[in-house]
Amino acid sequence: MQTSTELSYNLPMDLKINEPRTLTGGRVISNLTAALLAIFFALPMVWMVLASVDSEATNQLNLPHLTAAHYWVAVQSENLSALGNSLIISTVATVVGTMAAFLAAYVLSKQHIPFKNPLLLTVLFLSGVPISILIVPIYKMFAALGWLSIIPTGILLGVTALPFQIYQLKNFIDAIPVELEEAAVLEQASSFQILWKVIFPLAKPGLASAAIFGFVNAWGNFLMPVVLINRLADQPAPVRLFGFMGSNSINYGVIAAYSIIYSLPVIVLFFGMSRQFKAGFSLGGAVK
Amino acid sequence: MSVRLDIPRVDPVSFVFLAPAALLLCALFMGPVIYAIYLGFTNLQLIGIHAINYRFTGMSNVVFLLHDEIFYQSLWLTIVFVIGSGAIGATMLGLVLALALQGCMPFVRWISSAAAILAWTLPPTTIAFVWMATSTQSGLISLLAGNRQFDLLYSHAMLVVSLANAWSLAGIAMTMFSAALRNIPGDLIEAAKLEGASLRQILTSITLPLLKSTIVTCALLMMLMTFGNFTLIYLMTGGGPANDTNILPVYTYLQGFKFHNLGYAALLGNVVVILSAVLGGLFVSVTKSRR
Repeated sequence: MQTSTELSYNLPMDLKINEPRTLTGGRVISNLTAALLAIFFALPMVWMVLASVDSEATNQLNLPHLTAAHYWVAVQSENLSALGNSLIISTVATVVGTMAAFLAAYVLSKQHIPFKNPLLLTVLFLSGVPISILIVPIYKMFAALGWLSIIPTGILLGVTALPFQIYQLKNFIDAIPVELEEAAVLEQASSFQILWKVIFPLAKPGLASAAIFGFVNAWGNFLMPVVLINRLADQPAPVRLFGFMGSNSINYGVIAAYSIIYSLPVIVLFFGMSRQFKAGFSLGGAVK
Repeated sequence: MSVRLDIPRVDPVSFVFLAPAALLLCALFMGPVIYAIYLGFTNLQLIGIHAINYRFTGMSNVVFLLHDEIFYQSLWLTIVFVIGSGAIGATMLGLVLALALQGCMPFVRWISSAAAILAWTLPPTTIAFVWMATSTQSGLISLLAGNRQFDLLYSHAMLVVSLANAWSLAGIAMTMFSAALRNIPGDLIEAAKLEGASLRQILTSITLPLLKSTIVTCALLMMLMTFGNFTLIYLMTGGGPANDTNILPVYTYLQGFKFHNLGYAALLGNVVVILSAVLGGLFVSVTKSRR
């Protein structure tokens, strides 16, 4: 009797039994892979966080002997002023890049100008060029002009972000319906008024993401300041961090704490405005 | 005043709006790139008499370049780094992660995507520090290998910097692939399941073919971003040991600011521009042809 019942639903049930099994098999593989990759991505960062609060920090993964001393050292005068220099450089870069990019993006998006496509292609090309190639000619120029200091370096870093920002903003402004401008034109608004009263308010999320890109780009740059800033006291945080790393006895705890303080603004900017950033990024022509 | 409405009008204000960006880009970007073409053919030095009294030296830098073994090594390493770490490493990591995220528990999904994106947001100097600590003696990798003395950063420097670069870029690749996966119609997968297709069959004959264009775009973007990644390598290895990680951007910097040969460094920079133009052209033609 048993064999007969087994036989009776062995065949038709086979598919039903099989289907969930392959699915769970897939789920197990998915979960395992994702978990392994999570460890791969997280472990170096977990180490950094633990080392920053461990009074006996090494580059091994240990349970920390809790202390806040590393953070205290990391915000001492010179370290703090390096962060201040980073802030100056990045702010200058953000303001210069975002403002120029916004004006240009509006024209490239909405107005009729000759040679628009070649211009756009040039901008796209520039956004892909590794900016390290600029150091030799820029160094020569800045040295001749006596500009080897913090503000010109900030302006230069703003310019290196400019091509991508133009693309970001152009794609954002493209999405603003032309009817709004037409209505403004009928009301005798000037180009300046249209830009300021119609486009600017609507483009704010795009401007935010472009500004974040500009800030992060300048905040993270190591090469330009190290070559283009003469005074040691004017060097930004990444250069100071590199100085720590190169010293004979590496103090992992302090470097980890300083790295975290240095990285935090960027992380906050990204996650705090991730929605806008994602919008700007997925619109960014270079990506799609 | 009669204005012809059938011809698009050029508003002079446009040029006023364009002026700041145009001036900045010409003065601090395009101008210097062109200036570097000239400097590449001079004997300009960082210090010494040729720092001020430099002159056009014709093809002598080019002749030197063609006989410079380190240049060829550097070119090869650049290709290995850009393709191995960017086109393959970062893209594959992002793809595998995005695929795995589709079928896993919300908690695991949240942790792994957050970790990947966090890794991407870190500034290059922090990434260099974390990976240096991880891969030198007694670091995490040597612990995992079971040998405290194991110094992977010294013995396999290119592997470590490639891994670090892929680690830092996979977050964007994952975002791109996740978006593309969401666009695959669910009924396609459903239909395949009803036909009794195995997961592997669904992956190889539906998902991956539909992702092909995203894979190409993503690989090219990762290559461009990897190519520009000077900071990571310079901070982790300085191009060493024994030029093992001396990719072109690093070699350019070393020639200019360590060996003081600014003229020759400018020429190396020109090679970088040509290579990135090729990559960029590829990227534009691939993305354009798809529209």
